[in-house]
Amino acid sequence: MPAVLTVDPGSGVPIYLQIIEQVKRSVALGVLQSGEQLPTVKQLALDLTINPNTVARAYRDLERDQVIETAPGRGSFVRQNGVEANVRAAATDVARGAVDGALREAKSLGLTRADVRATVDLALDRWFPEER
Amino acid sequence: MNAIEISHLSKRYGSSVAVDDLSLQIPSGTVFGLLGPNGSGKTTTFKCMLGLMRSNAGSVEYAGQPLAPASFEDIAYVPERSVLYDWMTVAQHVEMNRRAFARFDPSLAEQLLTRFSIDPRKRVRALSKGMRTAVMVSLAFARNAKVLILDEPTSGLDPVNQRHVLGLIVNEAARGNTVLFSSHQIGQVERAADRIAVLERGRSILTGQVDDLKADRKIVEGVFLDGTTDITAVSTDPRVARVDRTERIVRLLVTSGADDMAQRMTAAGATGVRVLDLNLEDIFFYAVSPADATSDSASRSIAS
Repeated sequence: MPAVLTVDPGSGVPIYLQIIEQVKRSVALGVLQSGEQLPTVKQLALDLTINPNTVARAYRDLERDQVIETAPGRGSFVRQNGVEANVRAAATDVARGAVDGALREAKSLGLTRADVRATVDLALDRWFPEER
Repeated sequence: MNAIEISHLSKRYGSSVAVDDLSLQIPSGTVFGLLGPNGSGKTTTFKCMLGLMRSNAGSVEYAGQPLAPASFEDIAYVPERSVLYDWMTVAQHVEMNRRAFARFDPSLAEQLLTRFSIDPRKRVRALSKGMRTAVMVSLAFARNAKVLILDEPTSGLDPVNQRHVLGLIVNEAARGNTVLFSSHQIGQVERAADRIAVLERGRSILTGQVDDLKADRKIVEGVFLDGTTDITAVSTDPRVARVDRTERIVRLLVTSGADDMAQRMTAAGATGVRVLDLNLEDIFFYAVSPADATSDSASRSIAS
């Protein structure tokens, strides 16, 4: 499997969170499709030269979030059931993180709730013109 | 189950203390990175662990047992300095290890040497420092040991060969074995290790899972345009490990609760509050440097 996942070990973001975010993003984008097999923990650790326990931790959390399922001895797969909901949840997760960061920044710059709402409305009009 | 448990280990050289009441737990299957400035006691700790040096106090156990001849098969060690014989060839070292260790795999040793582009027919005398490191690493990883103790296993190696060594370490962990290694290259530790300890003057001043340290330790930064604002209520919070203050910017190193601390900073009147991630190098740096050594004005009174 070509490297669907990449991590930046030198960043301040925990590596396991980078893996989780990327798998969710890949599922949301359809880069990883339902039923598709992920690399094994060992394979991904060797491919990226990162700690296998860290990879295992990411996979455990992805299972808990019902993004993937692991069949003992066979490997980890993107979940078949409720893919629609998973994709949506994964996409929402990714978007929530980005929106959170933006709002925190806006607040710290002294903008009011009304200021932020106006800014968000403008952005919504720009990116979702068809749903106005 | 801890593969290695170090309890209250101390080692003095005359009046100087090299290892000072050091306790570390290294769970089985982990890659444990030991960081620390030069002279912080890493090599002395390794030597005491392996019985190469007598400690003054404390104990070291492997899987619950003290070091005994029977456990030598399970432990492979790469020392910081070459222990190879100058006058012997690399192939002769392979043969020597085959005779000494029951589980030593000569063909694996040869594969590893090839990967490091080392000609086994060469005498050690003809090898560079980095190539000697690579020979010792190859011999250690061919031991089929359960515990690997590696003192600077990438020193003198080029970046490609450094990555080979990291790959070998990752592979051992994937097989359930335990690796304890030291390195000054924090980026390597950040990749391969899931747990670390930072030694300073023979003591462990910080230990934990790398990803947890990164998740918890943040810089919370805020701008106080009025330089007289009293932030004592925020800066004395037990989660604040360090305060750096310049004319208008306050930076707090927090050990947890960064989002909460950011809100409290805003409530105290700060604008432009940001939470900054720290990589392992930052975390290490903050751990070993006192606040007033790195800030131009940290010692300045907050309310002055």
